[in-house]
Amino acid sequence: MMVRRLEVRDLHCQAREQSAAKLARDHLGISLFGAEVVQLFWLKAEAEQRIEDGTLESWAKQVFADPILQEYEFAAAKEFRSPAGINLQPSYVAEIRYLPGVTDNVGRTATEALSLVSDFARDHHVHVYTGKAVYFFGELSFADAERVAYECLANPVIEEIKVMDWKEYYTGKRFEFQKAPEVILPDEARVGIISLDQDGKSLERISKEQCWALTLSEIETIRNHYQDPAVKETREKYGLTADPTDVEMEVFAQTWSEHCKHKIFAAEIDYTETDEASWPEEIYPRFGAFTVKSLFKSFIKKTTDDTKAARNIPWLVSVFSDNAGIVRFDEKIDLCIKVETHNSPSAIDPYGGALTGIVGVNRDILGCGMGARPIANTDVFCFAPPDWPGDGEERELPDGLKHPRRIFDGVHLGVEDGGNKSGIPTVNGAFAFHRDFAGKPLVFCGTIGVLPHTLPSGLSTASKGQQPGDVIVMAGGRIGKDGIHGATFSSMELNENAPATVVQIGDPITQKRLADFLLEARDRELFSSVTDNGAGGLSSSVGEMALGTNGARLDITNAPVKYPGLQPFELVVSESQERMTFSVPKQKLDAFLALAKRRGVEASALGEFTDSGMLEIVYREKTVALLDLHFLHEGLPAMILKARWEGPRETPSWSTFPKLASVSPTEINSRAFLEKSLYTLLARWNIRSKESWVRRYDHEVQAATLVKPFVGSEAHGPGDSAVVWLKPHGGGEKAGVTISCGLQPKLSRYDAYVMAQHALDEAVRNAVCVGADPEQIALIDNFCWPDPLPGEKNPDAQHKLAQLVRANRGLYDLALQYGAPFVSGKDSMKNDFIGRNRFGKEVKISVPPTVLVTAMGKVHDVAKTVTSDFKKSGDLVFLLGKNTRHMGGSELEETVLLPKDIVLRSPPPVLGKENFSLYKKVHQAIQVGLLRSCHDCSEGGVIVALAESAMGGKLGVNVELEKLEKELADYQGTLAEYLFHETPGRFVVSIAADKLEQFSQHFADTPLVRFGEVSAQDILRVTRHGLVIIDAPLAQLEQAWRGAAE
Amino acid sequence: MKAKVLVLTGDGINCERETARAFELAGAEAKILHINDLLSAPKTLHSYQAFALPGGFSFGDDLGSGQVLALKLQSLLGAELKEYVARKNPVIGICNGFQALTKLGLLPEPFAPRTMALAKNDSGSFLDRWVHLTAEEKSICIWTKGLSSLTLPIRHGEGKVTLLAGEEEIIHRKLIANGQIPLRYTEEVNGSFGRIAGVCDPLGLVFGLMPHPEAAISNLQHPQSSSLQNRDAPGVGLQIFENCVKYIEGR
Repeated sequence: MMVRRLEVRDLHCQAREQSAAKLARDHLGISLFGAEVVQLFWLKAEAEQRIEDGTLESWAKQVFADPILQEYEFAAAKEFRSPAGINLQPSYVAEIRYLPGVTDNVGRTATEALSLVSDFARDHHVHVYTGKAVYFFGELSFADAERVAYECLANPVIEEIKVMDWKEYYTGKRFEFQKAPEVILPDEARVGIISLDQDGKSLERISKEQCWALTLSEIETIRNHYQDPAVKETREKYGLTADPTDVEMEVFAQTWSEHCKHKIFAAEIDYTETDEASWPEEIYPRFGAFTVKSLFKSFIKKTTDDTKAARNIPWLVSVFSDNAGIVRFDEKIDLCIKVETHNSPSAIDPYGGALTGIVGVNRDILGCGMGARPIANTDVFCFAPPDWPGDGEERELPDGLKHPRRIFDGVHLGVEDGGNKSGIPTVNGAFAFHRDFAGKPLVFCGTIGVLPHTLPSGLSTASKGQQPGDVIVMAGGRIGKDGIHGATFSSMELNENAPATVVQIGDPITQKRLADFLLEARDRELFSSVTDNGAGGLSSSVGEMALGTNGARLDITNAPVKYPGLQPFELVVSESQERMTFSVPKQKLDAFLALAKRRGVEASALGEFTDSGMLEIVYREKTVALLDLHFLHEGLPAMILKARWEGPRETPSWSTFPKLASVSPTEINSRAFLEKSLYTLLARWNIRSKESWVRRYDHEVQAATLVKPFVGSEAHGPGDSAVVWLKPHGGGEKAGVTISCGLQPKLSRYDAYVMAQHALDEAVRNAVCVGADPEQIALIDNFCWPDPLPGEKNPDAQHKLAQLVRANRGLYDLALQYGAPFVSGKDSMKNDFIGRNRFGKEVKISVPPTVLVTAMGKVHDVAKTVTSDFKKSGDLVFLLGKNTRHMGGSELEETVLLPKDIVLRSPPPVLGKENFSLYKKVHQAIQVGLLRSCHDCSEGGVIVALAESAMGGKLGVNVELEKLEKELADYQGTLAEYLFHETPGRFVVSIAADKLEQFSQHFADTPLVRFGEVSAQDILRVTRHGLVIIDAPLAQLEQAWRGAAE
Repeated sequence: MKAKVLVLTGDGINCERETARAFELAGAEAKILHINDLLSAPKTLHSYQAFALPGGFSFGDDLGSGQVLALKLQSLLGAELKEYVARKNPVIGICNGFQALTKLGLLPEPFAPRTMALAKNDSGSFLDRWVHLTAEEKSICIWTKGLSSLTLPIRHGEGKVTLLAGEEEIIHRKLIANGQIPLRYTEEVNGSFGRIAGVCDPLGLVFGLMPHPEAAISNLQHPQSSSLQNRDAPGVGLQIFENCVKYIEGR
């Protein structure tokens, strides 16, 4: 018995309340009376050393089981003790544990804990692996037990799952003949040589098989390079073949991947558009035909260059040149921000994917400049509605896709663990729901960091300073097979055979240690440069840092590994988590390594930076890759692409939508319709309260989150933007920063130009709501697109590319009007799923083109911020901003068929100039204390905004429409349009009655409507000459808005 | 001379900076020290007049919150800690620190067999919200002196005070009699026995609590801050740290 098994059971298990039982009941309709989770541990000592019963028992007591809460078992089956409230024996058991090689955080901690308390464990390298046994109580079939295990409890991509009859399992020999899930690989290093002298078809096949995601023309470019006599000659000198090694091809594949290289944003694009007159130009602007050399340079970077020049902005410290953008919003500290996406991994393993997304973007911040301290996270998710497909509709979902609710639950838990355990507050976020996210969910993870202006010696923290001769040091986690090909994989569409090796599970504690160490080493000036190991692993981190010195010699012989047997190319491209790459001056190497050791961080010297012009990779004293740095980074020719816009276009639907009921022109103004619509909208996925999920994220660790995600008298109202206090982070006494975001994927079916502008406007407007200075806002763009490259399976690529061009143009146009620069951004271009539905038919699901804009705004005085909730009865309520009759893309439009002739089906345009002048006014009003509340008017229109402010403040609101007769007459539309349209650029604000005059003067030239009054009655009431139009008690509103999410 | 307070960090502790700030605002000199530095020179502990175990996720809460941190402290600092407590130095454990003090066996009674643990919240999940608390005026706890009711944030997944099965009532009554329950929630938040939010040792010096007073040292941090009259006045949590400083100064 070389591998020992230990079981730990909770003494106080509430089996009825176990999430497994709940999930089975709620999601699968399988009636499970209860469930109990038993923790399993497998312990293995080195060299077949036996762990005796006495030793195991002492460890069980000391390390594994709490005497008040738990009991343990490691030998024969005892008489079964039923958990409280259940007088049954279980029917089935599901035994679940990670597959070999998958990150097992608890196992890692347990291994470390044993080595703390036991000489035996230390001397014999006792390793711990973990798993769980879930006991099912109640009568169910074996097939149902399997469904619960596979669909609610475990993920076969990363876990081994065994479902067994409980009695057989419990009375059987489960403590004997145990095996540990070790990775065992043949320890035989091989470097392959790849001949590129093959026909195109073969090369394309190899590219696909090897998961390179390189196109034929890219491989041909590489082939031509290798045929260069000078290259041949150099290779000969190093004892290399004329043909590339597999290590080299892998480095090309990573470096040239869409994920790392952003080839589409760098492409030359010929844009043309329809000259059909049927699309109104004031909504969908015309640009004629033009050529873009690079979307990034022509729009994103140009936004920054042009706003910087136009406004003479002094606070941009470093933009687009580092892992994150750096701005100076404070006289003592700098801030940096980065938002990433982690879509493909989250589709395969939602928990690990999201967790890795967070700890990954945290590392971007840790690797920004000379290393920044993460102070806040922002997370935005786009999912298919979790309650769809429902009962009887399961066949709607193509094979190989997880149910949206599983993706949701997994991502949610990943964020909870990733953010909470890292000690970084999740201060802001958003959800957008649309069926077309069923193929690939979008998981955006962003982090804000703080940098001192200078290091103790006076060196700027914003720039990196690696020198030739500095040592390459990798620190943090070890390298394994997990995360091989992440960068290239995410540059391809998803299919049902996606490999499991691309999945990683983050380890927040290893990373926390690494982060603490990094900041300490930074302040002691023990390194000259740092970057994170993300996509592409060492090949990318060292490859990029080598640009700073013009060369590197990376020796991977002693790279620390999780298990032996990794091939050289795997060592180079593995994306195993929690690793940073440093450049360390030789004379500081000892001190650097000593500090790392003292902090429990593994660090290894792996060669040095040079000025040879080459990235040389060495393994066991042999050169296994020799790459011309210039060619590696600049050798890829720009793609030449065509884009054509034909006006708004519906994407073909791959699922069956229920028929919407129509509403007649007479019904539309009726009390019944308006009240019903209000409740319906409040409960819609895009509007309903997300509080029950968000409260599971720590949003105020570090004690600087002043405006929290939920506001109001009982903290249930929606916050428009987070405010983080900078003083605790070393900033000025009153200084703060807002973090907010905007996205409107549902508008893409009209025009991505409009969609992108709505996103940008919403992000800025949310910031302004709480008190950010609209003249000091930095923007971050994230594009998530369906594949815009032509291909057999992509007939409308030109349209998608045109949408991309238009979205860029939209951002540029509006950002310039707002005078707001982009400081960082990222794109993800292959968000498609191709698979088969359950009738065998091929289906393609593409995400709606989505731009997420994140805004970071300066708050001059944190004691002057405002929240969205009504504060006092008698306060006057105003709507600021211009109304329109555009109903396109509104939530109301998605719930009923509106009468054809009385509504505008196009989305409302964003009026940048008017909005910006209003935003400045709102800001001034907040600065002088004119506003008691301020809320962004968005999904669901003004009536939903009123309801939210009322619920937040636990106060009612009275609207007497007869006082609005003039506005309504001017408006010309129906009351439904007036109340539910979602035109951007509007706010619902409340003021103290005695401030009316001052308020009216301040907003004299602004479109505004005096809407009503805050009341002490718990009712949202709209009347017209005493006739009730809407009468909605707060309790009922809350039931719709919050109740549904519980 | 200012009171010197040692604030522990490392291995996943993550509230050390705000905890140190709270002590400094209360008039102490706070030193954030990495656990490995402390454990390699355990005697260092005695040059501080108070010891704080801040909140966080030490060792990822793997094997139970606070468990491995407690093991590490026990095996490498056990003797010093015993002496430190015996010398009547104040010790505070906040959230994860409370969990570690409990696992260490320092609460509710140092060096006695364990009678208490912090189990998973009844909801089964982590929760971040502000809660109303009552401070027991008759408590022996030096940290909560002068407080009667307060509002503080909680941010935990394992905060349910659980007493030794079968002896809950006896233990609870004893704790009440000794004035060892200085803090209770005013409502049900995590299923804690008797709504206990904080516990101290029989001398009132070793104090563990789930809420985070260090995150409530300014009214700006209050969730209803924008409705408060004096938005930048000190928050109610500060007094807990001031009480400690007062105690040290009074020794």
